[in-house]
Amino acid sequence: MKIKGKVIRVFPKDTNTDEIIAGKYKYDELDMKKLAAHAFESIDATFYEDAQKIQKPILIAGSNFGCGSSREQAPLVIKACNVSCIIAESFARIFYRNGFNVGLPLIECKGIASKVRRGDELEVDLGMGIIRNVTNGEEYKFQSIPKFMQKLVDSGGLMPYLRAQGGFSELG
Amino acid sequence: MAEKILSAKTDTDITAGDIVIAPVDLVFAHDGTMPLAIQQMKALGTRKVFDPNKVMGICDHASPSPSEKISNVHALMRKFARENKIHFFESGDGICHQLVVEKFAAPWKIIVGGDSHTCTHGALGAFGTGMGSTDIGAIMIYGKTWLKVPESLKVRIVGELQEHVCSKDVILHIIGEITADGATYMSMEFLGDTVERMSIESRLTMCNMAIEAGSKTGLCMADEKVKIFLESYGRGNEYKSLSPDGNATYKDEFIVEVSNLEPMIAYPHRVDNVAPVTEFEGTEIDQVCIGSCTNGRMEDLRIAAEILKGKEIAKDTRLVIYPASRGILLQAIREGIIETFLRSGASVGAPGCGFCVGRTVALGDGEIALSTQNRNFKGRMGNDKAEIYLCSPATAAASAITGKITDPRVST
Repeated sequence: MKIKGKVIRVFPKDTNTDEIIAGKYKYDELDMKKLAAHAFESIDATFYEDAQKIQKPILIAGSNFGCGSSREQAPLVIKACNVSCIIAESFARIFYRNGFNVGLPLIECKGIASKVRRGDELEVDLGMGIIRNVTNGEEYKFQSIPKFMQKLVDSGGLMPYLRAQGGFSELG
Repeated sequence: MAEKILSAKTDTDITAGDIVIAPVDLVFAHDGTMPLAIQQMKALGTRKVFDPNKVMGICDHASPSPSEKISNVHALMRKFARENKIHFFESGDGICHQLVVEKFAAPWKIIVGGDSHTCTHGALGAFGTGMGSTDIGAIMIYGKTWLKVPESLKVRIVGELQEHVCSKDVILHIIGEITADGATYMSMEFLGDTVERMSIESRLTMCNMAIEAGSKTGLCMADEKVKIFLESYGRGNEYKSLSPDGNATYKDEFIVEVSNLEPMIAYPHRVDNVAPVTEFEGTEIDQVCIGSCTNGRMEDLRIAAEILKGKEIAKDTRLVIYPASRGILLQAIREGIIETFLRSGASVGAPGCGFCVGRTVALGDGEIALSTQNRNFKGRMGNDKAEIYLCSPATAAASAITGKITDPRVST
């Protein structure tokens, strides 16, 4: 699987779920397209607007991206902003699961936050574990994801995976 | 200990890093995560749960409902609960984690909650971990989930705590030391003589905050105290001891000597911004909050009441108190604690999450709050122009009286 897109933002380390989508909105709305308008609102007022102008935005972040609550609304609103994948130095555990479960590819790549800049064009090869920076010609390698999680990505998330497999029993 | 529980549950010999399919003894979600879980179940074309006795729904985060929209979301949950005959707890019954502690949590159980603080239940020797709504939906259907077996981080806590220094101060200190991602994906296991002497309530506070260092779960040994605790809720038969093997392997070991530990505080906007209370002494505060799944239990309310007894809170400061469950509120009424709070000028709310997530109680622009909760992220209490400091119930109560951040050792 290959993803080609433009870096929309480089967020700092420990960007948390309250910053991604504030608790004051999430209880009211089950329509993620409506909720997406508030994504990153408290730390970046123009994120949603900018995401509408870019073809396939790629989000870059420092370590521990998505720390905090278990709210799945966090990866869902990012997906609803049309973000094609997130590349971070590392992810918080629950956010990492949630991302794969809802079909949002997450890539862990050490040092990425200091190597790419907002506006860079990137080509991500998930199978090969390589990110090509078209803007400056650099290449970055990343550890490919565990086989089981690759299956989740290929299926488009946990629910489509379970539907195809007929439950968890096939795995055990 | 995490590895031991998962090995026993899957009946296989596993090691850290393995991915296993494990049966779940209890799955629960609240009004912030259950509606989305029900929606995600649609992808598999069902609304039926695997076993109604092992599924629980709770209205606690935005409860009692402050708006039409949330009332409609609560109605959707009630309909699902009725259809499936699952355990269901209403607005005012309490915070999900406290209800799980009182009614379900026990050693060796696997408990998955649609809330990051599900690691709380490790204080009773359960493998508790938080997940998102899709995972919760899948567990509600199949009764199983996939888990990557975590490595363990041993935190050995030794020494006698000073008066007015609480387990909250210990866990804040630990998070400050290892930082917000210091235990990512690990099982944080609290051992040592200080933990052995601690009450179950104090242990719950520490396990509750394991997630703030990135942990998958927090765990304490299941000892005689756990047995007595379970017996007090009529569940003594669910007790089974749990302790680490003599040859247990740990990713890392961390020793914390607490004899000289001072009351600690986490300052805005990160939980790992930790310093002694004395460094912030005198900071004026608009609102003091006591409660939450971290510090809303009897022990916490008793600590606060002892400090507030016969005193009044500062004129320009509000004190908001939310007991963690209906049972706790009733007990606090019996002990005269609620009267102490009300006479001191506090406002006491219906058991639930209340102030902690800012959905039913919110701060104003530029306001400063001092709270016993577990997170101080920007916007957490409903306003991204407000600041949140985290502390123990003793520091909170002492500070409510002065209207300024106050060291409880000096003022009382």
